[in-house]
Amino acid sequence: MNPFSALTPIVLLGLTPLVLMLVISFHRSHRLAVVISLVGMALPLALLAGTATSAAPPLAPLLIIDGYALFYIGLLSTATMVVVVLSYGFLERVPGNREEFYLLLTLATFGCAVLTASNHFISFFLGLEILSVSLYGLVAYLRTTRTALESGIKYLILAAASAAFLLFGMALIYADLGTMDFTAMTSVLAAKTREPSVLLLGGFGMVIIGAGFKLAVVPFHMWAPDVYQGAPTPVTAYLTTVSKGAMVALLLRYGQYGGLLDYDSVASVLAVIAVLSMFLGNLLALLQDNLKRLLAYSSIAHLGYLLVAVIAASREGSHAVTFYLVAYFITSLGIFGIITALSDERKEADEISDYRGLFWRRPWVSGALSLMLFSLAGIPLTAGFVGKFYVLTAGVLSDLWALVILLVVSSVIGLYYYLRIIITMYLSAPEDPSSPLSATRRFSLPEGLVLAGLTVLLIWFGIYPAPLLSAIQAAVGSLA
Amino acid sequence: MLELLWLIPAFPLAGFVALTLVGSRLSRPEVAYVGAGSVGLSAVVTLLVGLSFMAAPPAGGSFVQTLWVWVDVAGFRPAFAFHLDALSLTMIFVVTFVGFLIHLYSVEYMMEEEEGYSRFFAYMNLFVCAMLTLLLADNLMLLLLGWEGVGLCSYLLIGFFYKDEANSQAASKAFIVTRVGDTAMLMALFLLFAELGTLDIQALLERAGQQFQPGSGMATAVALLLLGGAVGKSAQLPLQTWLPDAMAGPTPVSALIHAATMVTAGVYLIARTHVLFTLAPAVLTLVAVIGTLTLLMAGFAALVQSDIKRVLAYSTISQIGYMFLALGVGAWSAALFHFMIHAFFKALLFLGAGAVIMSLHHEQDMYRMGGLRRQMPFTFWCFLIGSGALAAVPVVTAGFYSKDLIIWNAYNSEIGGVWLWAGALAGALLTSVYTFRMVFLTFYREATEWVRHLMPIHEPGPCVRIPLGVLAVLSVAAGVIELPHTMGSLTLFSGFLNTALPEYHGVHASYGTELLFELLAAAASLGGIWLVWTLVMASPGSMERIAAQPWARGLERLWFSGWGFDALYDALFVKPWLWCAKVNKDDFIDFFYRAVAFITETLHFVASMTQTGAVRWYATGIAVGAVVTVGLVIIL
Amino acid sequence: MLTEALTTSALLFVIGTFGVLVRRNAIIMFLCIELQLNAVNLALVAFSRYVGVEGQVFVFFVMTVAAAEAAVGLAIIISIFRHYRTVNVDNFNLLKW
Repeated sequence: MNPFSALTPIVLLGLTPLVLMLVISFHRSHRLAVVISLVGMALPLALLAGTATSAAPPLAPLLIIDGYALFYIGLLSTATMVVVVLSYGFLERVPGNREEFYLLLTLATFGCAVLTASNHFISFFLGLEILSVSLYGLVAYLRTTRTALESGIKYLILAAASAAFLLFGMALIYADLGTMDFTAMTSVLAAKTREPSVLLLGGFGMVIIGAGFKLAVVPFHMWAPDVYQGAPTPVTAYLTTVSKGAMVALLLRYGQYGGLLDYDSVASVLAVIAVLSMFLGNLLALLQDNLKRLLAYSSIAHLGYLLVAVIAASREGSHAVTFYLVAYFITSLGIFGIITALSDERKEADEISDYRGLFWRRPWVSGALSLMLFSLAGIPLTAGFVGKFYVLTAGVLSDLWALVILLVVSSVIGLYYYLRIIITMYLSAPEDPSSPLSATRRFSLPEGLVLAGLTVLLIWFGIYPAPLLSAIQAAVGSLA
Repeated sequence: MLELLWLIPAFPLAGFVALTLVGSRLSRPEVAYVGAGSVGLSAVVTLLVGLSFMAAPPAGGSFVQTLWVWVDVAGFRPAFAFHLDALSLTMIFVVTFVGFLIHLYSVEYMMEEEEGYSRFFAYMNLFVCAMLTLLLADNLMLLLLGWEGVGLCSYLLIGFFYKDEANSQAASKAFIVTRVGDTAMLMALFLLFAELGTLDIQALLERAGQQFQPGSGMATAVALLLLGGAVGKSAQLPLQTWLPDAMAGPTPVSALIHAATMVTAGVYLIARTHVLFTLAPAVLTLVAVIGTLTLLMAGFAALVQSDIKRVLAYSTISQIGYMFLALGVGAWSAALFHFMIHAFFKALLFLGAGAVIMSLHHEQDMYRMGGLRRQMPFTFWCFLIGSGALAAVPVVTAGFYSKDLIIWNAYNSEIGGVWLWAGALAGALLTSVYTFRMVFLTFYREATEWVRHLMPIHEPGPCVRIPLGVLAVLSVAAGVIELPHTMGSLTLFSGFLNTALPEYHGVHASYGTELLFELLAAAASLGGIWLVWTLVMASPGSMERIAAQPWARGLERLWFSGWGFDALYDALFVKPWLWCAKVNKDDFIDFFYRAVAFITETLHFVASMTQTGAVRWYATGIAVGAVVTVGLVIIL
Repeated sequence: MLTEALTTSALLFVIGTFGVLVRRNAIIMFLCIELQLNAVNLALVAFSRYVGVEGQVFVFFVMTVAAAEAAVGLAIIISIFRHYRTVNVDNFNLLKW
């Protein structure tokens, strides 16, 4: 068998933007662009079923296509498909060219796929930059609105600067270990007996900065609320799920191969970052009135929870991280999807006050939104609970008691603002019938189907997590 | 066939989901088909499963169906698994079958209500699903899910007519009072998991038998806490106060939840964890004592009620007291037998009362009824049969066989004795007095003005009559599956249940004694009817004359209020609590919580300050963070 | 030799970082980021003299990426200039708190 055939999913993902580019230059059609992106994301998914069982072929030195990478590629491209569906309704409402949006979106996902499969600093950096550069364009896509431009320039400068730190860290690690290949690093590290050098530790620190920026954890989090608020809502959904998911996937792999988590000092710093993120994120979200900003803060907290399982660095930890991520994907896509689908030409539905009395007008939508928020808060029988449960268990099994307790305490703070939104939805409708958001926009069929599907998955994985868990165990098992 | 087990709770769940999602768009007949049909289907499946279970009993007397494991962590692996044995089969048979009849009844009964038709059936289906989950659960985690689920449905259905605030109050009361018991039960679960390391019921009972010494502190503590949960759910002393108020719900709800099924969950819990109770003989005795006291207390209270549904509510408390008594003296199968028969006749009585209430335009006061015997002959005969069974009229009714068995066992067991027996016998007398007082007031006498005003009164339609008829037949005929030694000694029921529960051994089973005791029980039942006939029918006004006595007036007020437990708890818990709350309005504890809120909010504002929106400030944040991170990684 | 190279590149990197922090003009900030990247390039080339060719290969990738980033970045900055008539980043703070 040709070893390159294993690369097919990534190649297909890379071809999608190219095809889109060609098609756009000949014939502009919003629908066509959507269909091409959906097919481009779905094809690798279909292929994954066939290749998932085959052993990882050596594609030295840049990429490694093992079950782990395939699982994440599947997850990320599925999430991208959801974002594509949401974007269609969103872009129909805005002026200007629409088709290039999908070009950038598919390109970003290609970058993510490279990240999840990367086995080398070069592919790490390339994947990250393909993702980042596409995101600059996506965030500032509505280039006639002030907020979009502002969030674009903020993301641009901060992401580029933090990428420079990451690159410097790579150089330092390279200087110390003499290799950029993850697999080779494992053997070099295993041969080392002396104390880690300052170069190596400094390099680790800088890698944490680069990764921490993408994950928006404290103290590299400050861009998140502004960019979340200013970016088009589907892009926000993408930022919070796919872009972070790819980085987490890479972090787990690098942690496994590159020895990142083998050093106590790195683990302590990550622990500090995790605790700060949990508390600061939840505190910032507490009285926030803009839903998109609130979710940015909540996302900071959630990545803090996730880091607890990353620090646990055990097999259970990796399972927990992946499960938590899947649950978080479902929930975040659902919430941002509802925000997108409720918005109309006049107003974006991003203020909490817009949701006042929503239940009495749109019972299904607010029911689904309540479930999503419950899942974020970690209420039982939702996927979010099971995810949090596994994270806690991973922490307990690794004796990270302090972290576990702090996680629980900060979750309590989090409960407050999730419930605040839910209560708002069930209050009586505002007296003034001409309130800015009457939420009368009907959902299109694809939107409705996607949101219903996400809601069902949310409950499904909350009650019956076994199949997802065994898939994750198989996938993470192929790591290392 | 046994593999179909999972369908039994799945059908009502599907009905609930369907009615919740699209119920508002369905017409009433469609809602009725979904709502009653789902429970009907699960009754059919129960029948199939039950037949194949009895035809070819699985090895060990139980069949376990594990659907999936919810989470699997460090020995804690609660599964969605169903456990079918003689005990759960008996219970689910009653729940699905009686449940279906009540659903059928509701199709017509709820038709008068202007709104909430599909909401009603959605809640009812959810209830049946939760109840079946409770009964079939193979581990205490899943049992708890069902337990809380039935509590929730009970709350929703008591407060079904939520626009009247009193109903919402009653719903809250039921929820809060049972919560006291639920908390105890939750503690029992934690304790069991900590001590025995599992929540799987079978494994747990096995390990308990090996690890706990009989009478040891741990066994007693666990059994006591479980008993706490059971008395809460089953409305036994001292947590019985919620049930009479729970009659605020629609009558089919009272029949299904607050008579036939949910309130017997406590009985089921004790029977299911019988090993733990056997290991704690003191607690088992306590169960018997609680049962006896409750059945007497509720019997007296039922004597003086004027609302027909409240009579039945107190009577339910009293009959469950009998079941507790049976459990306490180790007559496990007798408790279950009475549970089954009680479900038949009490559902019948509630449904019959509902038919009367419906015909009289929501009149529940028995003093304003009367003479309905001629107006509603079918309802009358069914109600009379149900009352006969409740009063345990000898030989012809099923209630006699089940109650007599308990009365006899109360005497004839190691734990039992003359005191428990005397209490049970007195209770039987009380039962027949209050039951036939209700019958005479409602159906005999001259028609009152109110009734004449409503004439002609029509009998209800077929959807109401079929359940009444079926239940009436069962209330008569179901007794023959278990006959005492003196009457042919048929032990179909106990023989079946003994595959799941320990066999009962009497101590002084002499034929003559048993016959004597049976005659005494029969005399109590018939004597009560005679007494009430003389007081109410033979010399009208004699009751009023007695009631006019000063001592009788005080007693009546005491009994009418259910022995003043509400006032007692009000004075004992609610008032002091409110007083404490009022006095301590600005106390240290409040200060603490307010300080927490204040500090959190302050921290929020402080933290918000950092989000200045200036990109150079953010870049500085990253740079400082970078220096600190790299520094820490190198230094630490 | 390694120490000198590392010191130089670290120095350049710090200068670039400070540039990002203190300058207000978006284009200059962007140039400073390029300075950071090139500082790393210098280090990579120097290291690869001692440990192998990978570092030099990486430099080419970094340069390519930097070019792409500059293209997109400048496009956004031009859009901003059209809209605001300024590229002073201190003017952009609609989104905050």
